Amino acid sequence: MQIGFNFTLGETAPMIRRLIAGGRIDYVELLIDNFLAIPATEIARAFDAPVGLHIMFSKFIERPEDELQALAGRLRAIIRATRPLYVSDHIARFTHQGRHLLHLAEIDYVADFEQVAGRVARWQEMLGCRIAFENYPSIMDGGWDAPDFFRRLTARTGCAVLFDVSNAICANHNCGCPITDWAPVIREARHFHVAGYRPSIGQPAITLDTHDQALADDTRAALATCRDLGPPPDATITYERDDDIDEERIATDLDMLRAIFPRGGQP
Amino acid sequence: MTTDRIIDTDLLDHLTVPARHHELGEGSRAWVRVDTSLRIYWHTLFDICPGLLMLDAPDGRPSDGMSIFRPFMAFAAERALSFDWSYYLWVDVWLSASPFRDRMTMDLRLTLMGAAAARWAITDRGPDVGIVLAARDPYGADPLALPLVAGWKPASMETGREIETLDLDEPLPAPATPFGWFTTRGRDLDSFPGWADLPL
Repeated sequence: MQIGFNFTLGETAPMIRRLIAGGRIDYVELLIDNFLAIPATEIARAFDAPVGLHIMFSKFIERPEDELQALAGRLRAIIRATRPLYVSDHIARFTHQGRHLLHLAEIDYVADFEQVAGRVARWQEMLGCRIAFENYPSIMDGGWDAPDFFRRLTARTGCAVLFDVSNAICANHNCGCPITDWAPVIREARHFHVAGYRPSIGQPAITLDTHDQALADDTRAALATCRDLGPPPDATITYERDDDIDEERIATDLDMLRAIFPRGGQP
Repeated sequence: MTTDRIIDTDLLDHLTVPARHHELGEGSRAWVRVDTSLRIYWHTLFDICPGLLMLDAPDGRPSDGMSIFRPFMAFAAERALSFDWSYYLWVDVWLSASPFRDRMTMDLRLTLMGAAAARWAITDRGPDVGIVLAARDPYGADPLALPLVAGWKPASMETGREIETLDLDEPLPAPATPFGWFTTRGRDLDSFPGWADLPL
């Protein structure tokens, strides 16, 4: 398993270069939305390591076709220049009746399947590559429908899944859907995410995917489950940290990840 | 709700019309889910513009922000405001017609304009690299009381978005509406395409 770290904006670049130089990470995941105005060649030479491209706000389910075509053209240039390990995106609702949601909303996995599958196929066609779509940190009961949705979506469209381990843990806390329900998806997954979570302020507390905490014990257990389902050696797992950036604590989590997923085989 | 099974989609109206929040029943998971989302709207405003928390409420007591947030969110719901980058400018529009009108300062208004420009620079997915904002003085005394504010998308992997005030050799006309804006493909502001109205 290759281990990576997410890069969202410039200030963490020096730390990421130290993580590369120290052998703690093998690649860098670029939140490519933030760098769209930068020449593709400059993006390609930013780090002395392979990159993954993670798209946050393409809003490909909702964005008008002409805007999506224009965005795809710019992303294709970056894909050509960077030759990424993967391209990933999100299945979520970003607007409601034309109004932007500041907290992403989960789709209706049953009612929206046909529409979303059609847009997934179109978005892959526009980008000219297979896209890995990330599972949502479910809060409400629709989370139970997510594993089967992603299984059907990959079968229908040929897309991949970016399996976010901690998002599945959040869903388990919030709606009860067990990690074992994801086993058929995990067996096929080649790209993973993991991060810390924390409880909400409001009661009863819900679990939020906050990317600001150390990895929890149940997340570590779920990572071992993923390992036991046999990801190939070139599979990737990105450690996401967007807040409370502390290099020492991040290194501790990365070392723990490496202990679960050692180079060259089982621990 | 008529069923025990609630999915996220069932809550979309409650996410965008805060006045309906109470319908979910405080202490329910659905209520907390919407509460968590509304906190993001709150933080998106007050973390970026903390000076708003220093405004005294109309009754003279220190504001905790809710005397601005609640009525503004109701105003936004009535007009179906999109909550894109213009969120902050609509807050200014609301404040300028509210009991807080006389407590607003140029610094606060500039902070809101800077926040709007920054949000455009980080959320816009089009090919333009910059946005220029201008305010019409709501008090009518001086149409150029506030400088132009520009927001630029990150120009390198090492830097973030940039926000600046502009002092042009040739002043631009004041916008006809509370705020005017235009976007640009380059950093050379050698042409003026005219002010667009603040989008809903």
